[in-house]
Amino acid sequence: MSLVKERYSSKKPYLASLSRRDAIKWIGALSVTAAFPGLTACSSQALAPQSQLAKGHWPQLDLPVINATGYGKDPNLIIAPRASWPRTLTAAQLTFIAVLADIVAPREGAAPSASEVKVPDLLDEWVSAPYEQQQQDRVSFLHLLAWLDEEARRRFDNLFVDVRASQQLAIIDDIAYKKAMQSEEFVRSAKAFADFRRLVLACFFCSPAGVKDIGYLGNVPIVGDYPGPSDEAMTHLQSVLDELGLTL
Amino acid sequence: MMEGQINGHDYDVIVVGSGAGGAMAAYTLTKSGRKVLMLEAGRDYDPKTETPMFKSNFDAPLLGAGNSDKDFGFYDATVDGGWEVPGEPYTKGEGSEFLWWRARMLGGRTNHWGRYSLRFSEHDFKGFSRDGLGADWPFEYWDLAPWYDETEALVGICGTNTGLDDMPDSPEGVLQPPPKPRVPELLVSAAAKKLGIPTAPMHRAVLTRPKDDRQACFYATPCGRGCSIGAAFQTTTSLIPMAQATGLLTVITDAMVKEVNVDEKGKVNALTYIDKKTKQAHRLDAKVIILAASACESARILLNSKSESHPNGLANSSGHVGRNIMDSTGVSYGAHIPALEGRPKYNEDGHTANHLFIPWWGHKMQEKKAMAFPRGYHFEIGSGFRAPSSWVSGDLDGYGKPLKEITKQAYGSYVGLALRGEMLPNDDCYMEIDEDVKDQWGIPVVKFHWKWSQHELKQVEHGLKTARQILETMGAKFDKPLPKAEDAILKGGQIIHEVGSTRMGDSPTESVTNQWGQTWDCSNLFVMDAGVFASNPHKNCTLTIMTLAMRNSTWLARQLDKGEL
Repeated sequence: MSLVKERYSSKKPYLASLSRRDAIKWIGALSVTAAFPGLTACSSQALAPQSQLAKGHWPQLDLPVINATGYGKDPNLIIAPRASWPRTLTAAQLTFIAVLADIVAPREGAAPSASEVKVPDLLDEWVSAPYEQQQQDRVSFLHLLAWLDEEARRRFDNLFVDVRASQQLAIIDDIAYKKAMQSEEFVRSAKAFADFRRLVLACFFCSPAGVKDIGYLGNVPIVGDYPGPSDEAMTHLQSVLDELGLTL
Repeated sequence: MMEGQINGHDYDVIVVGSGAGGAMAAYTLTKSGRKVLMLEAGRDYDPKTETPMFKSNFDAPLLGAGNSDKDFGFYDATVDGGWEVPGEPYTKGEGSEFLWWRARMLGGRTNHWGRYSLRFSEHDFKGFSRDGLGADWPFEYWDLAPWYDETEALVGICGTNTGLDDMPDSPEGVLQPPPKPRVPELLVSAAAKKLGIPTAPMHRAVLTRPKDDRQACFYATPCGRGCSIGAAFQTTTSLIPMAQATGLLTVITDAMVKEVNVDEKGKVNALTYIDKKTKQAHRLDAKVIILAASACESARILLNSKSESHPNGLANSSGHVGRNIMDSTGVSYGAHIPALEGRPKYNEDGHTANHLFIPWWGHKMQEKKAMAFPRGYHFEIGSGFRAPSSWVSGDLDGYGKPLKEITKQAYGSYVGLALRGEMLPNDDCYMEIDEDVKDQWGIPVVKFHWKWSQHELKQVEHGLKTARQILETMGAKFDKPLPKAEDAILKGGQIIHEVGSTRMGDSPTESVTNQWGQTWDCSNLFVMDAGVFASNPHKNCTLTIMTLAMRNSTWLARQLDKGEL
């Protein structure tokens, strides 16, 4: 299946769009195959008994503090700075995010997948940024990845990116739906996945292909007066008004 | 600008600030032949070359999302400012929450403002006479009306005359045609109509017809970024270059005013500013000074200008400098409208803000004391097929194709109603100087005190109920109770309509300036920003700041002609 062939894994890493300096760093990290080698090794050794797992496991990562500076209060708005802070995700984490982002937003007909529009790079920029919201997301997302690896090891004895697509989806099915929010076992992973999902969609729909996919038609100059709603839009509005018993 | 070349005596008037008030004063004075020196605390700024027109969120760091560096998003025009200015803190009294937006740039906050430009009404100037609360203004609407006419014609306002008591009409030919309303606004309008609530074209300082060197709006790229074509009004593409064209205006940027100085008799004769580039203090002789540094910054300068003859700060014999601060009340309530899901797409940018809004409809009832709160509000409508950003709306569930379908269906189906209401002054809302804290220029900082009264909370409660009714009439379903007003109301300062800190009035014991913005205590010292507002009607302050500055600097020029100052 072509879908399986295209999938990212430890052996088929996601290739980030990197600056030359970052690329050297990245090559150095290539030998690391797992997103969290130390952690996964540790947790596979000390697999918790079933009773404890019923309440749900959640990794405890000790993440280094991001102490970069931001782009400041007077950045160049015309040539936007895209490298104000160093990227922090490893090659394995980027591949992990590519796998996960493509589950959220896969290729669909003419619309590319999340990884095809470089969503993992945007997420690297995002989680590496020295701002409050981004730092919260970083903690949440990296714990989600670690949890998914723990879960893949527990269920299928491999890294998440290296288990079969159906096995990946078996795990995601447990955390991607609203019912997971009511489950003690999955509530933390479900919340983290929900935040990750929203951001992946945002990145995707901001991309030129995503703008087309969602159907945003603005940001083009209009000569003369603003034309207002199309005939089709007004016809639709009229049907809405009729349905609601309203008149203009 | 070389400071060595500047001699304050060469200028008839020194204006502190380059925003709505300062730029209008400088424009009016230079047009009447007076030499003006303008000091701006921020850097020079040119919208023609610095505005990120047409840039997409995809091109911005973090999809353009706001953060502590750029509170309103990466592309917001604000330079070196926002809720915090590095090295220039402010403090708050115990239990007080207050946010103070500043911009350190030529043109100040006019570079990014919402451009909503509604006239205050007859009743707005006489609130105290009606309900015994707050203060009356020292003139009537009809005294100001001709100046509104001139200001609207100069600034360029789109909108229509409605005949509503909340929106005084402009003379024929003053307003430019408003853009056509869009689908969600029309739906709000239909729902409001069923409830007996009016909607009207918003008045905005956006050109729909070309004017002077400024082009008409081409209905793309958000006005909050600034406008390189000059369609959306900001002083940096209009009043300042027009005043400079007279040859009578000199501008010094990066000049942070520390205090206004007086002679041994207590008469204003100079001011002291810090050159931010060299960190050196400079003293400039002055014949006449206009403070237009923003309501709270001008009050700060006055309170920091203590002398033997003015021990409580300059122009503060009344003790009213820093008191009577009002912001607008603010709360937002919105919902997904199922009937708008999956609706036909079209370009819904328009002039990128409200084409329609909900003006206040309850004034007559308030006059009869038939409402639980004394002052009005309006609703701004948030909706539309907007440029994709770092937030995706929709009740997301699952993943893959069905998830994307949820997002696409929800796109353009959200409608939010943002209340902006009139606040009354109260004794718990004021600013003073925090003697323990200085900014990086060695200037003592402002300490804010804040507490909403029942008037504001009851108004917000009414607004939340009304917003919900309108949204329900549009088919929205709610499964949660309305939030409590005290939890939902935004913080003081958060609407960025702070006014009243140097209010005008008829009495030197109850106000800081007379009706001309001339301080009671110092005849050659004027205030021409929102500090002089005697009340804060819900209709956004900038148009009235500019109108007052035009009227009062015209009066000032006449006094100079007569040799009165």
